[in-house]
Amino acid sequence: MSWDYLFIQVMNGLVVGVIYAMIAIGVTLIFSILKIVNFAHGDLYMLGGYCAYFIIKLLGFPPVLAMVAAMAVLFVLAIILERLLLTPLYSDATERKDEYGLIVTFGLAFFLRNAAIIAFGPFPLKPPSFVEGITEFGDLRVTNDRIFAAGVGILLILALLYFMHRTLWGQALDAVSQSRDSAAIVGINPRRFNSLAFGVGAALAAAAGALIAPIFSLAPDMGVLANINAYVIVILGGMGSVVGSALGGIFIGEAESLFTAFFPDPTRAFAYTNAFGVLVLMLVLIYRPTGLFGRRHLRME
Amino acid sequence: MRIKGRWHAAAGFALLVGGFVILPAQFTQAYAQDTIRIGWVGPLSPPGGYAEGALMKQAAELAADEINAKGGLLGKKIEMFYEDTRGQPEEGTAAAERLVSQDHVVAITGEFHSSVFLAEMEVVHKAGIPIIAVDVWANKITAKGYPEVFRVAPCQALIASKYGEWIAAAGFKNVAVLWEKTDGGQSAKDVLLPILDQHHVKHDEVGADPNSTEFTAEIERLKSHNPPYDFFMTEFSEAGAYPLITQSYQQGFAPSAHTGIANSGGPAVDETFWENVKDAGKYVVTENVGLPKNAWNEITKSFNAAFKKKYTKEPSPQAVENYDAMLVLADAIKRAKSTDGKAIIAALEKTKMLAGRGEYSFSTAHEPDWAYHQFMGAPVGLIQYDKTGQSPDDAPIVWPRNISDVKYTYNKPAK
Amino acid sequence: MRGIHVYILIAAAILLLVSANGMNQYWMHVSIMAMVYSILTSSWSLLAGYAGLFSLGHMAFASIGGYTSALLVEWFGIPIALGMVAGIAVCCLLGAFIGWVCLRMSGPYLAIFTLGFSEIVRITFSTEDDVTGGMAGLHTKPIFEDASRLPYFYTAFVLLAVSLALMGLLVRSRWGLFLRALREDEQAAAASGVAVARFRILAFAIASGFAGLAGGFYAHYIGVLTPGIGALDYMALLVVMTVIGGMERLPTAVGGAIVVEFLLEILRGYGQWRLPLFGIILLLTMRFARNGLLTPLWIRFVRLGEGRIAAAPAVAEVQREDSRA
Repeated sequence: MSWDYLFIQVMNGLVVGVIYAMIAIGVTLIFSILKIVNFAHGDLYMLGGYCAYFIIKLLGFPPVLAMVAAMAVLFVLAIILERLLLTPLYSDATERKDEYGLIVTFGLAFFLRNAAIIAFGPFPLKPPSFVEGITEFGDLRVTNDRIFAAGVGILLILALLYFMHRTLWGQALDAVSQSRDSAAIVGINPRRFNSLAFGVGAALAAAAGALIAPIFSLAPDMGVLANINAYVIVILGGMGSVVGSALGGIFIGEAESLFTAFFPDPTRAFAYTNAFGVLVLMLVLIYRPTGLFGRRHLRME
Repeated sequence: MRIKGRWHAAAGFALLVGGFVILPAQFTQAYAQDTIRIGWVGPLSPPGGYAEGALMKQAAELAADEINAKGGLLGKKIEMFYEDTRGQPEEGTAAAERLVSQDHVVAITGEFHSSVFLAEMEVVHKAGIPIIAVDVWANKITAKGYPEVFRVAPCQALIASKYGEWIAAAGFKNVAVLWEKTDGGQSAKDVLLPILDQHHVKHDEVGADPNSTEFTAEIERLKSHNPPYDFFMTEFSEAGAYPLITQSYQQGFAPSAHTGIANSGGPAVDETFWENVKDAGKYVVTENVGLPKNAWNEITKSFNAAFKKKYTKEPSPQAVENYDAMLVLADAIKRAKSTDGKAIIAALEKTKMLAGRGEYSFSTAHEPDWAYHQFMGAPVGLIQYDKTGQSPDDAPIVWPRNISDVKYTYNKPAK
Repeated sequence: MRGIHVYILIAAAILLLVSANGMNQYWMHVSIMAMVYSILTSSWSLLAGYAGLFSLGHMAFASIGGYTSALLVEWFGIPIALGMVAGIAVCCLLGAFIGWVCLRMSGPYLAIFTLGFSEIVRITFSTEDDVTGGMAGLHTKPIFEDASRLPYFYTAFVLLAVSLALMGLLVRSRWGLFLRALREDEQAAAASGVAVARFRILAFAIASGFAGLAGGFYAHYIGVLTPGIGALDYMALLVVMTVIGGMERLPTAVGGAIVVEFLLEILRGYGQWRLPLFGIILLLTMRFARNGLLTPLWIRFVRLGEGRIAAAPAVAEVQREDSRA
């Protein structure tokens, strides 16, 4: 195999990986603060994409502004959902909180997915490009939208990391993720930060949705694959670790790209790509049930 | 609980359970005899192809409205019953049963998934109710030989074989086939490959998940293949077809001077095609299962206009098929002067009428086995776009040669 | 009298069997599907409701059972009953294996792992279409070459009854108690001497076996089998049915399957709104009636015969004591 071929596949994997990372970070953030796995995250990503599309179509915003607006909308929506559905997680009267979080987010995903078909119609939609055209690096041709998506994605991830480590609110978030009670003792309101975490996670997913819409088009069930990839990444990178998810996302993006590129049986390589990511996941879980870099599974009780 | 309460509760439960048990049996409502009941089946939600199903349903609605506006059939109005089969065989069985046993329809049209239709046709066969298959391509459907089953769509034998012959005639020698893992994609591949073999065209095939939208890595792999492929045949009907074509183009694979591309399955003639693929769509080959525009008859034109007016969308080929199926059915019922299953079937066999896709008639031959009750004249033309944004009806027809309107068999892009 | 609910149920069952002949084919089909789903929901409740193992791979086992039976019957011409038994056996073994692999996983990790497993199964069945017929569908041999669905109805009924009886026995035994302990607090259970590992594996094996049974019957009933039955949409429906009914006990899980399946059919007229509607019902149920909507009904049903043997006298006693003091 030529080096060019390898290089091209690696570059493509990088771009996709950044998008995966954005979604996965949302999942991991929500997990570290609320201690539940959000099974509806892929559908929030889907909603974000559609939201941006309609903001462009109906309000005439330029794409970048629409993305920001979509992030804001999903932020608010997420907080509403959290208030409506997730408050039992904070009450001592609720038993088996893990299970509750699972089923509720699962049900939410089910609802969102099916309602989206009715609301948005089944036909794939495509908003206008962020940046038109194609850039060529020698033999490698990458659409500008992909470069833009990867670039903005990295920026947002870095912004989030900065927020979490350098700002007061971010550090408070981190405190809550380590110990709700201790955080409460020093005067941090855990409930507010739960909402914040859920909102930020959703906003990030919305950005991802808006960014990929011009590349892959929007469809109501686009959240399904996104969900599965997100879990693979989060578990690889460790539940609760934002950096882990970022790296994990890139890793999975590369892994899928390289698997398709090099798996010996060309007929099956592509079909099994999705299964490959999942297989990696399962193997990791078998040997390390709490994920590669995760802290020991923290339960709410 | 006090004694009285206990017995009340007991009676209540007995009633509840008994109700669940007995009531359904009585659900055979005394139905009004003054409408003609027609059923429609198709996918309207996932995991089925709900986009196409929606268009088919709209076309059926339009047809029913038109027929009723002209006074209905046999002096009665048509009443439509739509069932969502979600692309699952078990839903097909349930939908068919409901239409037959519960809603007492006299005939059914529709369906987009062959695997679902196979389940449905078992039900209607037992009940003797005619069903017109609208857009299911598996050969098995008519090959099974059920008298109740009629098909207006072409079958795989008719479509994929056209592609096979065309590929050979256009001079391609090394084809990459990407097929989606659905009943449609699979049966297309199963018909196409042997034909390519017959013509000594080399081929490699790749299966793909219908939900895929990211093909970059795969396309790179195909691009780097030695010897290079000169044609990229895609059997892909889902939303992912758009990114597939776009990515293939943007990566410099196909369409290009060295590699051609075709997409079979429907997306390339959908209204949203150009919005999604833009320049990548120029030079794409696809099938048009409707009449070429220069052969449009009055019915085709009026349907097109009416559909656009009512739904502000271009009708898809599946929509035209469903509209025609309704017309054909109505015509048969009129000639049979009855709603009895056998009578309608006999009338359908003698169909000879003009509708949106041409002059309809159904073969009664059993050789080849899929010809039975198949609309043999189902138009299948291969078109190749030569302008961005071109309507499928305006695109040059490259195959079969006897209806082709351009001199070339394949229009090779300049770069 | 105590246990009157049992007699009521038996009477209802007899009524059902006798009147089945009069049912029209459509409702018979719906009832048969309801029974198939009941086997699936009750066995899933064993895993999720009793043992606390939220497995998303249940429908994958159903599809494995279905394909195993269908393919063995097609290739070797064995009788269908044997094929189904083979399907169950494969599912039990595979289920036990998965259970063993998942031993150290809890809660969401288990869910994700089983979700991954289910996806791998579905993708494999779909890709290896030379063997499985893929999405074009595999033609299966029907159990009865009969125009009517009636024999299928009786068969499904018997299968459901036997499944419930077996699962009921398990649940009422000490094993059932141990399973319940797993869900409540695994560490406490282990500390109390429950062989946690053994019971987790057992729960998986048994539940998966029943899923395989349902899948096998389904395959030979519908006549066409596709990998779609193992898709997430069907698993989601299973979760919806079980949780709405009540995942903590077998009868409510069965009730959930029956009610949701019938409602889905009755509401067919509402087309695509059916599914989001059930999504909302699920959310409301979890939020406000976590044990399931049918659970309070079932508890009252069971207590029908108990009269004043309930807590009332003890409470009255205490009240009298208090008032004296």
